[in-house]
Amino acid sequence: MKVIFLDSNKLDHLRNTINHDAEFKLAARYMSEDILLEADDSRCIFKVRDGVLTEINLGPSSDDHWSFSIKATAESWEKLLQSSPSPFYTGLNAGLIRGILQITGNEEVAFAYLWAMNRMLDIMRQTS
Amino acid sequence: MPGVKPSTVPGRLLAEVVSMMKIRFLDPNGVENVQERINSDPEFRIAAKYMSQDILIAADDQQCIFKVRDGVITKIMVNPSPMEPWDFFIKAPEKSWELFLRLLPPPFFHSLFGATIREDFRFGGNVEAMFTHYWATQRMLTILRQFQNEPGGKS
Amino acid sequence: MRLESITGKYGYITVHGVKYRVYFEESGEGVPLLCQHTAGGDGRQWRHLMNDEEVTSKYRVVAVDLPYHGRSLPPESVEWWTEEYKLTKRFFMDFLVEFSHALGLDRPVFIGCSMGGHMALDLALECPDEFRAVIGLESAEFTPGLDIIWFNHPRISGEFRFANLFESTAPSSPEKYRREVGWVYSQSAPPVFRGDLHYYSVEHNVTDQLHQIDTSRIAVYLLCGEYDFASTPEMCQQTASKIKGAKYTEMKGLGHFPVIENYELCKTYLMPILEEISKIHG
Repeated sequence: MKVIFLDSNKLDHLRNTINHDAEFKLAARYMSEDILLEADDSRCIFKVRDGVLTEINLGPSSDDHWSFSIKATAESWEKLLQSSPSPFYTGLNAGLIRGILQITGNEEVAFAYLWAMNRMLDIMRQTS
Repeated sequence: MPGVKPSTVPGRLLAEVVSMMKIRFLDPNGVENVQERINSDPEFRIAAKYMSQDILIAADDQQCIFKVRDGVITKIMVNPSPMEPWDFFIKAPEKSWELFLRLLPPPFFHSLFGATIREDFRFGGNVEAMFTHYWATQRMLTILRQFQNEPGGKS
Repeated sequence: MRLESITGKYGYITVHGVKYRVYFEESGEGVPLLCQHTAGGDGRQWRHLMNDEEVTSKYRVVAVDLPYHGRSLPPESVEWWTEEYKLTKRFFMDFLVEFSHALGLDRPVFIGCSMGGHMALDLALECPDEFRAVIGLESAEFTPGLDIIWFNHPRISGEFRFANLFESTAPSSPEKYRREVGWVYSQSAPPVFRGDLHYYSVEHNVTDQLHQIDTSRIAVYLLCGEYDFASTPEMCQQTASKIKGAKYTEMKGLGHFPVIENYELCKTYLMPILEEISKIHG
C-alpha cells in the first residue's frame, strides 16, 4: 500500500476531500500553518491558510517553510493510514508516545491543532 | 470593540483626581522592587509559566516595557526608546490608571477587560498573545495595584 | 459526612425532535423556582442559593444544565463535532418550557443570570402564561460586541476564560467565590461559551419589544451588579424603564455573577423579591 500523500495522482482529490469535511472545517479554524510530513526520505508540505488546505507540495525544496513536522518511516505511515489501524497507530499522540513518529518544530502549534491533524489522518485513511 | 460604547467616567470620580498621580511602576528608581514583587508572587509564577512576551504599558506619554522570559520578569524598561520591541500594549490616560490602581477601583476599572470595553483603556499589538497569557497579565496588574497602594506610594 | 439537601438526577426530554439526556438538581419545597445558569456555565452556579434554607423552605429550587453544559452531555443522535455550536433563542426557550412541563412545574418562577437574565425578558414576552414571575439578573435588552473569537480558539486554553470571568466579578467579593466563578468557566467544553454568546450578544435584541410585556400576567424583576461591565447598571435600568410595572434594583458591590461571587450580599437584594413573589404569586 502506498502512502497517499506521496501519490501525486491523488493529491487534488485528497485536498478537496479534506476541505469539504465538516469536522476539519471546525478543527482547523484560524489555522494558518505549513505542515511537513516525512516518510523515510520522502517529504510533503501541507499548506493551510485560514483553515483551508490550499496546497499539498510533494517534494518541496529545503527552502520551503514549515511550522512543524511529523516524521515516521514509510512502513509506519502505511500502518497509521490503514482504514482500521492497529493499537498505537490510531492517532498522532498515540504514535508519538509509542515512538512510532516524531513531531518536531513548533510543537505548541502542532498540539493546538491536534484535532485538525488527526482529522486529516482520518480522511487520508478513508481516501487511501 | 464593535458595538460597545464606552461610558463616561462620572464627574465625581474625575473631580477626586485633584493632582497628577505618581504611578510607582513608572518610577525608574523603583523597578527592582516591582520586578521582585511580581517574580515572587506564587500566582504569577503559575500563570506566567511558558510566557515569553514583552508588554508595553503606557500612561499618557509615560511608558515602560515589562520583559517576560519563561515566566520571569527579566527587565522593566522605563521610558524605552521607540526602537524597543514589544508584543502587545496596554494604554490609558494617567487619570484612568489612577482609578484602575486604587485598592478598591470604581466599577469597570477593576478589570482590564471592563476598563477597555467601557472606559478608555486600550490594548493592541499581538492580541492573541495577550489573551493566551491573560491570567498572567491580569495578575501582574493586580500586583501593580497592591504596590501602588503601599505606604509612600502616592505623591 | 455532612450531606447537603441538593439531589441530582438525569432525565430525558425531546426538543425539536432531538432526545436529550439532561442533568438537573433540586432542593426545597414550595413554589417552583427554575434557575438558569450563565453562558458557558452550569447548574453549579446555583449551589449557594440551593443550600439556603430560607429559600428552600418556601421554594422548590430546580437548576438544570442545558444540553452541552455541565453534566448534560451533547445528544447522542447529533454529530456535534461537525457542527458549530450556537445557542438560539428558539431552542433555549423551547427547552426551558419543555423541561418545566416534563418536571410538572406549575407556572414556576424563573430566575436567570446573564444569558439567563436575557431569557427572563424573552420568556416574559413570549411565554407569560408559563411562568408566574421572572427574575433577570444582569439582564438587558441588547448587549452586542461580546462574542469575541478568543473565547473559542485552538491556541488559547480555558485558562483565559478562568481569568476573564474571574475579572467580571466585583473586587470586593470574597476571593474564593470569585475564583469559583472562573473555575466553572474554565471547565466548559471549548465551543460552548462562545456558542452561547451567539444568543447573548448577537441574536438577543428586544429593544423595540419590551413595551409589550404585561406585568399583570407575569411579574418582572430585574437586578444588576454595580460592577457589571457586560450589561451595565445603566443598560439594565434602561431596559427596566421600558417595561411598565417592572421593578429594578442595582446591587451595590456586586459584579456579573451575584449569586456565586457573594451570595450573602446578593441575598439582601434577592430575598425581599422572593418573599414578595411568594406572598403575591405563591
